[in-house]
Amino acid sequence: MFTPGSKYFLGLTGLSLVSAVLYTIFVNPSDIGAVALFGLLLAGALVAGFSLFTRDGDAETEAEAVEAAAYAPTPSFWPIVFALGAAVVLLGVATHPIVFVLGIAVLVGGGVEWTIQDWAERASADAEFNDLVRHRAIGALDYPGLAAVGLGVIAYFFSRIMLAASKDGASVIFIVVATAIMVFAFLVATKPTLRGKSVALVVTAGALLLAVAGVATAISGERSELVEYAEADHYSKTHRECGEEEGKYYDHEANNTVSLRSAVLATVFVEDGKIRAQMIGLEKDVDTITVPRSNATNILFRNLDEEDHRLVVNLGKAVNDETGKEEELGTCTQLAGKNQEQVLTLNIKKPSSEEQGYSFTVPGAEGEIKVVVP
Amino acid sequence: MSHIDPVLTKEKAIDTVTPVKSSRRRIVTALAGVSATVFLTGCATNAPQDTFVPKGPNAKIIDDLNMIVFPIAGVVGVIVLALATYIFMKFRDKGQAIPAQSHGKPYVEITLTIVPALILTVVGVFTFRGIFDLAETKDTELIINVTGQQWWWEYDYPVQADQGISQPIISSGQLVIPVGTKVLLRETSRDVIHSYWIPALNGKKDAVPGRIHLLRLEADEPGIYAGQCTEFCGLSHANMRMEAVALSKEDFAKWVAGQQKAYTAPAAGTLAAEGETTFINQCSRCHQVNGIKDANGKPIISAPDENVYSGAAPNLSHLMSRNTFAGAMFDLVNEECRADVWNAKSEEFGAKYLAGVSEDCLNEKDLRAWLRNAPAMKPMYADPSNLEKSNGLYRGMPNLGLTEDDIDKLVAYLLTLK
Ligand code: HEC
Ligand SMILES: [Cu+2]
Repeated sequence: MFTPGSKYFLGLTGLSLVSAVLYTIFVNPSDIGAVALFGLLLAGALVAGFSLFTRDGDAETEAEAVEAAAYAPTPSFWPIVFALGAAVVLLGVATHPIVFVLGIAVLVGGGVEWTIQDWAERASADAEFNDLVRHRAIGALDYPGLAAVGLGVIAYFFSRIMLAASKDGASVIFIVVATAIMVFAFLVATKPTLRGKSVALVVTAGALLLAVAGVATAISGERSELVEYAEADHYSKTHRECGEEEGKYYDHEANNTVSLRSAVLATVFVEDGKIRAQMIGLEKDVDTITVPRSNATNILFRNLDEEDHRLVVNLGKAVNDETGKEEELGTCTQLAGKNQEQVLTLNIKKPSSEEQGYSFTVPGAEGEIKVVVP
Repeated sequence: MSHIDPVLTKEKAIDTVTPVKSSRRRIVTALAGVSATVFLTGCATNAPQDTFVPKGPNAKIIDDLNMIVFPIAGVVGVIVLALATYIFMKFRDKGQAIPAQSHGKPYVEITLTIVPALILTVVGVFTFRGIFDLAETKDTELIINVTGQQWWWEYDYPVQADQGISQPIISSGQLVIPVGTKVLLRETSRDVIHSYWIPALNGKKDAVPGRIHLLRLEADEPGIYAGQCTEFCGLSHANMRMEAVALSKEDFAKWVAGQQKAYTAPAAGTLAAEGETTFINQCSRCHQVNGIKDANGKPIISAPDENVYSGAAPNLSHLMSRNTFAGAMFDLVNEECRADVWNAKSEEFGAKYLAGVSEDCLNEKDLRAWLRNAPAMKPMYADPSNLEKSNGLYRGMPNLGLTEDDIDKLVAYLLTLK
């Protein structure tokens, strides 16, 4: 009746039952220890049940043993991979999300491979055929997966190289590499004799070059101005620089094209050192822009002059809660060069009044545009 | 089953037959009813949102296009339906043998390609012309920002010296425009998508948050033109109405002057003065009245952004200069006075509208009911017990639990806001 295996698990179940009850009474019914002991109780009971039901997996008759042996799975390392994945996932939970994601990848990869192997082994009685089915099934997953990883690696290395090279250098590299690939592909396509070893050689050399350059640049880091640019953090609270630009790079790296067109309430221009404005739907200059209250509103800034300029919105003064001092409120765009554009999105919660007037100005240019919020 | 009374079964059988007959009859009756209703509503005399009665050049462009497309589509439709019916009847399955099958008849195919192409070309040419005419904005004379939110429209008139607007004007529900003037609405929304539609003046245009859409309006004659939000926008979408009020140019100038009039606090000791205090305590956190000051003489700035989901509540500075309230759902004037304004002759209309809401004309019943319990008058998510879901912000105006005494004072005060 009780097989040797089930005795062990039954014992474990009994022991954990007793300890769980004692723990609950004497220590604490609601802490993690009780949960663990009850978990152990359930797990022990479950395994004991399985072992009783399957008689520890022992065969009773010879026929049964033969039949069981016929389906014995071949040794496989996928269960180990799977278990490793589970361990890495747990490690990831405790350490870093990247480790967790890696663990998930290993877990899923191992699980899929294991499942398909198991399925293929039972596909037929013919081992060779089963192998073929397995390859076919796994091929449909393996190759796209490997290709995706390969592309990812190429993209990563290439991006490191581009970020480390100087701005102009990066353009040159891009053009040269693209041209080389184009020429090479053209040669291979037109001269079939070239195909074969020489192609493999060139591709391998290219891959090696990419890997070496990629690793080297990944270690050496991005070009200095990008690093400084990130450190300047224009949008941080402390960086409220709406006058002359102090940072060496940030504003000069600004993306000065704006794709926004149908959502702009007004456009502010700087032309011949003077500021002027136009509102959407009215083809003449205005000196006051009326902005609806409590609604996000976009204002486009267009610099028509030689020097760089930025648009500043002045939103009155308010007492800073932290410092207790009165501070000017407002914000500004990045610098825009000649014929370049920037956009400013405003959401003004309080109406303007005589005491609290709002305006647009451009440092280094004459005039101002009044902003009215009804 | 064996012990079922045979008589009963028979009765049941009869029972199941009759509904079939009567349901067919019911369908016929229903169809007749629906078509009669549709037909008869076509003849309604009081249909302020009738699309076939243009009252301005933009709506006229659409109507003219309709006059071309509708007959063409009608004739084509009748021909197609007639042919289809004829074919269904003539060739329906009467047990005859399947006729010989053939493929392709060039002259039929070519004709059936060219004729529709020609028809579509005619329709297309006029349609495109209409679209471009309606999109024209170069000759705009007056611009108005129109902002939708659940469930009312806000209008603000940017400063425009040539229209006599030297300070921004802000209003809600009723859009006031001068006749014969090319008005350009700049529509946007503070929450979800709405759509602005005054059928007598132009087609509809969506008001989309984060975007500005342009819609031209122009009215030929003074009068009130009704409209309705036409993009489903939540609980009270059906109650999000609006009206465009066209005034002669002189009357519009008077209206502008009236809207720019400075605030005068009610005389001390009056009921209205008490109402002002109640208003400051109960209403000012959402509603702005320009120029209102607290006991220390400091201007009171409302904070709808901290209380209402959309970030806005109607500005009440000149509430009594409009005829409707709460998204033009209710009349601010009683029935008699309303009929007087709506049916006024074109020359007299302006003066009647500009008179605003006097004490005798006030629709006290609805206004009081609104102040007593706004969400009972217009479905809104304004239940304080639900505020957690909306981040502590009301959608619409909540029930403020005012006493009848408070309401008396508030009505007296609101009547001074002209
Ligand atoms: C929590 C904010 C809030 C408070 C407080 C509040 N209201 Fe309102 N009120 C609204 C909103 C939102 C609307 C628009 C509702 C609609 O039309 O869908 C409104 C509409 C109105 C309207 C109609 C205005 C129009 O032009 O359509 C009147 C009148 C009004 N409120 C009066 C009052 C009075 C008087 C008080 C004070 C007793 C008050 N409200 C308090 C939010 C508020
Ligand atoms: Cu709406």
